[in-house]
Amino acid sequence: MQLRPLLLAMFFTLAISVASADAEHLVWSGLVIAENVPQPAPIPPELTTLEQTLKDLFGYNQFEVIGQSNKTLKTGEEDWLANSKYFGLHVDARGENDAGYTLNLKLYKENDVLLETDANLSKSSPLVIKGPQVGSGQLLLVLVVKDDEQAHRRRHAEPANPITAGWYRLRRIIHNALP
Amino acid sequence: MKTFEEKWTAWLDGQLSDKELAEFEASLPDLEAAEAEKRDALRLGAFLKEQLAAQAMSNEEFFSHQLHQRIAHEREDRSRDRGTSTWWTIPRLVWSGAAALALFVITTVVLMSQHQPGEQSEYLTQILNSRVDPAANPNATIYIFESKNDNKVTVLWTEGLQSLPADYAAK
Repeated sequence: MQLRPLLLAMFFTLAISVASADAEHLVWSGLVIAENVPQPAPIPPELTTLEQTLKDLFGYNQFEVIGQSNKTLKTGEEDWLANSKYFGLHVDARGENDAGYTLNLKLYKENDVLLETDANLSKSSPLVIKGPQVGSGQLLLVLVVKDDEQAHRRRHAEPANPITAGWYRLRRIIHNALP
Repeated sequence: MKTFEEKWTAWLDGQLSDKELAEFEASLPDLEAAEAEKRDALRLGAFLKEQLAAQAMSNEEFFSHQLHQRIAHEREDRSRDRGTSTWWTIPRLVWSGAAALALFVITTVVLMSQHQPGEQSEYLTQILNSRVDPAANPNATIYIFESKNDNKVTVLWTEGLQSLPADYAAK
């Protein structure tokens, strides 16, 4: 009888963990042309949070999205395409793991595969791939996992603390352990 | 000076002294009838005593019976209450909460301690492998690094990919 409250409390915690671990995520994938122009256009809203990082990394002042896709991941095993006129980014999600989602990325130039990459895309760490030079600019591939917008902002505003990290780890373990 | 009734009662009860008894019996007009009356009175007294005693016993038993019934009812109610009443008393709730919290903290600490210091942070995107077509891009090289700012951007940096004309920037 003494175990009953403990078991109930554990069950309650597990239920909450599993429910929150099942939250859907949105992956934004974009084909971006970075260029230096005299009068740069405002950065697209999808890249606002990365603006300074992109400018620091690549030294361009304008970032234009030429193809994009917003994909909601429910099972973590979906695939999708972000297309421009000549380029195609095929993303094949191969499951959710500790770090986020395992993705296979293929950059096509028409029918040719220019680049292939396997990555664990973290929910809190965008991926930027420098592609080929295009004219005077540069093709960039950007992948960002978005969830609850507020949680996303909070995560960036605050440094990750070990308690939170432990909690997420526990959530994932429970989520993976249950069918 | 005792009245006749007092002497009569004392006579019935056998409380008269020898002298008083002799005087009283001598004063009676019909001793035999008085003796018969005395016997009747004694018999009645005995009967009444018996009946009253029985009555008293019966009440006692009834009271005792009632008391037993009441105790039995109370016991039943108590056991019924114990069966249906909530187990979650305030102290138990507090202890359960504390135990659950302690369990969570212990589990978290254990899980955190399993995290190796050299291991790449789980908050960063990891590049598992990457390749370019060596025939089309024989001099291509690939670097992987992380941005130094708060965005924690993982960058896959390619060099030596074949350049393309500006037309390819079309949407």
